[in-house]
Amino acid sequence: MANVSVVCFLASYVVAFGLELTRLFRWMSISRAAMLLAGLAGLVAHTIYLLNRASQTGMPPLLSSTHDWMLVLAWLAIVFYLFLSAVDRDLPVGLLLLPLVLVLIGSAYWVSYLPNSVVSLNEDVVQERAIQNWAMIHVSLLVFGIAGVLLAFVLSLMYVWQHYRLKHKRTIRDGLALPSLEKLARLNWWAVIVSVPLLTLGMGVGVGLGLYLQKEAVEISFADPVIVGHGMIWLALMGFFIWLCLKRRSTGKHVAWMTIWSFGFLLVTLIGLQVLSGENLPFESWKTWHTEVQRTVPAMRV
Amino acid sequence: MNLQVVYCNHQTATLDVREKLAFSSEDQLIRAYDDLRARFPKTEAVVLSTCNRVELYTSQESPDEAPTQQQIAQFFAEFHKIRLDDFVDDLLERTGPDAVRHLFEVVSSIDSMVLGEPQIVSQVKEAYDLALKNESCGPLTNALFQGALRVSARVRTETKLAEGRVSIASVAVGEFGKSIFDRFDDKTVLVIGAGEMAEETLRYLKDEGVRKIIVINRSPRRAEQLASAFGGTSQPYEELDRWMVAADVIVSTTGADRPIVDVPRFSKIIEQKEAQPIFILDLGAPRDFEPAVGDIDDNVFLYDIDSLEQTCEQNRAKRSREVERARRLVEDETEKFMHDVYHQATGPIVKRLREEWHDIKDRELELLFNKLHHIDGEDKRMIEQSIDRVINKLLHPPLKALKQEARQGPPHGLIDALKRLFHLGD
Repeated sequence: MANVSVVCFLASYVVAFGLELTRLFRWMSISRAAMLLAGLAGLVAHTIYLLNRASQTGMPPLLSSTHDWMLVLAWLAIVFYLFLSAVDRDLPVGLLLLPLVLVLIGSAYWVSYLPNSVVSLNEDVVQERAIQNWAMIHVSLLVFGIAGVLLAFVLSLMYVWQHYRLKHKRTIRDGLALPSLEKLARLNWWAVIVSVPLLTLGMGVGVGLGLYLQKEAVEISFADPVIVGHGMIWLALMGFFIWLCLKRRSTGKHVAWMTIWSFGFLLVTLIGLQVLSGENLPFESWKTWHTEVQRTVPAMRV
Repeated sequence: MNLQVVYCNHQTATLDVREKLAFSSEDQLIRAYDDLRARFPKTEAVVLSTCNRVELYTSQESPDEAPTQQQIAQFFAEFHKIRLDDFVDDLLERTGPDAVRHLFEVVSSIDSMVLGEPQIVSQVKEAYDLALKNESCGPLTNALFQGALRVSARVRTETKLAEGRVSIASVAVGEFGKSIFDRFDDKTVLVIGAGEMAEETLRYLKDEGVRKIIVINRSPRRAEQLASAFGGTSQPYEELDRWMVAADVIVSTTGADRPIVDVPRFSKIIEQKEAQPIFILDLGAPRDFEPAVGDIDDNVFLYDIDSLEQTCEQNRAKRSREVERARRLVEDETEKFMHDVYHQATGPIVKRLREEWHDIKDRELELLFNKLHHIDGEDKRMIEQSIDRVINKLLHPPLKALKQEARQGPPHGLIDALKRLFHLGD
């Protein structure tokens, strides 16, 4: 159990994705069973890995490091994927979701593995617990918000796919039956409507926590690239959110493309910023408080 | 086994003939069963009457009592009061395993006009239920029809014969309409024209839960008829544009010789509509909508007969690839059914033969043990076992021959021979 590594579940998901690709040629029950088995094996290894990490760092995976919360996000996506694939044999959700999961897990390798000591800066136990709780709320809101973004992104891809099929009058192929445009548009709308407020709340809690920690003499700069980048993404998302709420004559396809572009931009930027600020890459200028603060922690303790 | 079917179907007879021979109501079928019982009192009978076939399955214990094809034809002629010459050449007969195979193919919809169509299963079930209700069934027809329903389920589960839609209307609604809309009960359906195709499409849409139906036709009377048949309302032709703005689904089947809706006209309609998908089925030939109407907006999904027929053809091709697999299943099930039937026919004779010989054994052993007082229980048991083995060995060759014969067909000759050789009475 202790030897479970990222490679174990990454390999399982690669196999599951390979089997998902067979939908494009011939979808057989045996492929589906093998795909579910590979996905499930990956999920078990994934869960064990996260539990091991939690026990090593002494913190829940969401709080411990960027590496861990990205894996938690991938874990949520896999649970969602396995559930849908088990319920509906013809829904090709894996074809769209698994590549994103693989990118998340691959990116998790390049980001920081170090426990985030911001949440354990203070020696006052009561205050430390309060900071931890707020940090937990901040990260949970962000992770669930990003999970919603992932979902909206996949739903929009499905919408565009289904729209293309209908416009080109193609028959439904075995193993490639997508939900109706109406359902996809509705689910997409809900995914956006839920995820943007979650991200906003997460951002708000993060800013509040940052201000509080500044007061506690912790060196946190709101001008660092990660925070500025996140702020800009948030502004772009809010713009999209307001447009979605106020839109009058936008077609479903238009909304789907807008979602793909805006949420795709969010995912790329978010993951890109985390990778560039991780300690596994030699870009010193990108090192931000997420990593630097941990190294300066002992000096800051009074 | 004495089982026959006399039938005509879409392959052997024209619609005109089938209509004359059809039993269109339950009352008519009840009268038919009464008539059949009067004519053939010792015969089990099941009538299967659909728009594509009229079939009469009969069965009886003795082959001598089986109604001939001529007698069945006479029954049809007299019951429907039609001339024998009008249809007798269109009637076919199958007997024994061929009759079983025929029903299994019918219920699996291998024999249907639309390969794999599901309605035939319920039609066969209804026919069997009505025959049961009229006490017209017997052991053999019960086994046959129950077996048929089992075969149908097996064919549908183990093959893809019923997968993919193959009629224009079902493809339109099932493959495209349901991929656009999640539900239909909150949609407005506008029907332009009142042709047969519109009616068929409405039937599918109604099955999907459509409630609001508007029919617009140049002839208001026909529009009203169609609207009332589906719980909709008819509207004057002059209000077509207004209703096109309100509609989510448009089914057009006018007999116009040129498109009635062109791009400028529909562009104006789109400007007034909410930004919701609109599903247009142009089932007119020639087309009622200009093909370029489909390119006006991302939300316009326009399908004409050609595009739908292409999908139908692809699905038909997929289904026909499954026919061979379905036939193999039917063949396998027919063989099993016949084996069971013949086995049941030989069962009583085998049982009687065994009982007869064991009776003789018991009587002889009783006499023997009465004379041999000195032997104990263990010795008696050994002697008994030894004689049992002798009986089994002597019985083995005739029973094996009977079993083998039963695989080929009803072993009447061998059963008669066994009865005569071993004095086994009826």
